[in-house]
Amino acid sequence: MKKWYQQVGSVILPPVILFGIVLVLWHVLVEVNEVESYLVPLPGDVWNAAQGNFSQLGQATWNTALAAVSGFGLSLLIGTITAFVFSQSVLIRRSFYPYAIFLQTVPIVAIAPLVINWFGTGLQSVIVVTVVISLFPIITSVTVGLTSVDKGLRELFVLNQASRWQTLLKLRMPHAVPYLVTGARTSSGLAVVGAIVGEFFAGYGSDHYGLGYLILQTSAQLRTDMLFATILASALLGVIMFVVVTWIGFKVLARWTYALEQS
Amino acid sequence: MRRLFCVLLLASGLVGCKPSSPTTTEPGEESGQQQKVTLALNWFPEAEHGGYYAALVNGHYREEGLDVEIQPGGPGVPVIQNVATGRVMFGIANADQVLVGRDKEADVVALLAPLQMSPRCIMVHEKSGIRRLQDLKNMTLAVGSGKAYLEYLKTKVSLENVKLVPYPGSIAMFLKNEDFGQQGYVFSEPFVASQKGGDPHVLMVSEIGFNPYTSLLITRGQTIKQQQELVAKMVRASARGWRDYLQNSTAVNEHIHKVNPEMDLASLAYGVEAIKPLCLPAELPAQQLGQMTLERWKTLADQLKEIDWIEPQFDPATAFQARFIDTGQQP
Repeated sequence: MKKWYQQVGSVILPPVILFGIVLVLWHVLVEVNEVESYLVPLPGDVWNAAQGNFSQLGQATWNTALAAVSGFGLSLLIGTITAFVFSQSVLIRRSFYPYAIFLQTVPIVAIAPLVINWFGTGLQSVIVVTVVISLFPIITSVTVGLTSVDKGLRELFVLNQASRWQTLLKLRMPHAVPYLVTGARTSSGLAVVGAIVGEFFAGYGSDHYGLGYLILQTSAQLRTDMLFATILASALLGVIMFVVVTWIGFKVLARWTYALEQS
Repeated sequence: MRRLFCVLLLASGLVGCKPSSPTTTEPGEESGQQQKVTLALNWFPEAEHGGYYAALVNGHYREEGLDVEIQPGGPGVPVIQNVATGRVMFGIANADQVLVGRDKEADVVALLAPLQMSPRCIMVHEKSGIRRLQDLKNMTLAVGSGKAYLEYLKTKVSLENVKLVPYPGSIAMFLKNEDFGQQGYVFSEPFVASQKGGDPHVLMVSEIGFNPYTSLLITRGQTIKQQQELVAKMVRASARGWRDYLQNSTAVNEHIHKVNPEMDLASLAYGVEAIKPLCLPAELPAQQLGQMTLERWKTLADQLKEIDWIEPQFDPATAFQARFIDTGQQP
């Protein structure tokens, strides 16, 4: 059995070393090819920009995180309830499922103006866009989880004269939990994307803005070093959400099932 | 066997459909008598690009031996970057974008300034009673992100209780809400708004002194050094096109409408009329269309330094090259 620091080390070290190699390559390639700063900044410039504007970057990340987490939470709620309904009625599932797919495939650029017309500019529209983008994985994964229960187990419940509600609560739901966790991990990354895209269209006040606005602002000003810093902050936010959701997922799985999966 | 035959038939059909390979001449190269040149617009084709289209439609580019391809732009098109990296030979940009680009080491140089006065305006409702930019209070204002004029405006007027929201790209919200204003170009949004029954009132941003040259013809510094003759021809022909456009725009507007069906002929006709005083303000004779002065560039640079958009030590003298503009025979 590996020691805990050996385990953490074997997970953390490879990506960190790769990051270091990429940084060095990046710096060298930019210097050697004499790439202008407005096209590709040096890693050092990106760091300076991030440090110099730390409070602005931090505030923007916080605002985006707020929208992403709220949207993600709503997606979990709406997605799970929808999946429950789908699992109980084949007719409803067949009628509504294609429209859930529509939600996934319609370009958000087309929906966003409609969203703003209906909900106005501001945080609420950003959350709506986030939900639209992150909802589908929850619906699919939980629906599959609720409906793909082993036939033998279902028959066992029928033999014991379990009610529809008991079957749902004691059989289908525990079975669906691993599927929900998988769906949630996908959805959390999408939620960050959704929040940022939503901000492109719907969101900023003069003093309350998120990473999406910052991306537009810095790219228009050709401040590519700050743009890179903002993009990296967005990626970091996505990674943090993914890790947190995965960790909560493990805890939940440990409680509800005996099958712990290594990611 | 039959299946194989069908597959072969399909494959031969597809081979026959292969598009003819594009000509492989490099930009600027001679292709017969004409040099191939690209001009990248900074927005969808509109009246503000009219002169360039006029030079195309009326044959001025052809007369100078230039085979110009005008590439329509749109939201977020990186004209400055494309010109600075040589991806396109010429582009259209506004003076503040040129200065910001040069400050960040993008080697773009302005050659011609057809619009001497900036058409940037804030459109408010007539019944709001707002008559000056200083009176913008207690309302929602839709503005594009990353616009220098806005940052400058914020330093000059209080914008008390004004909620800033993203520019929606249409006037739908303006028509719907009374406490609403939005950015626009004087010859565009206000016209569309009144056509749709709205009551627009225009506040020119140039009133507070922010007046960048607009719809500038720009190119790469390297191109000016290496292909002077080509650049001279391009500027000459473009200026002729603009003088044409201000006199007689019907045919040109029909062409613009063809490449951009969203712009109807009525809006374009209105656009030309509204643009005339911007291209040739009171004192400027037609022959001097497009002229640029160091003083204007310095003023703009100082304003951009004020809002921290360019470095304090930036010198705007290299941002423009006016020597190709034909100022007429007057001594």
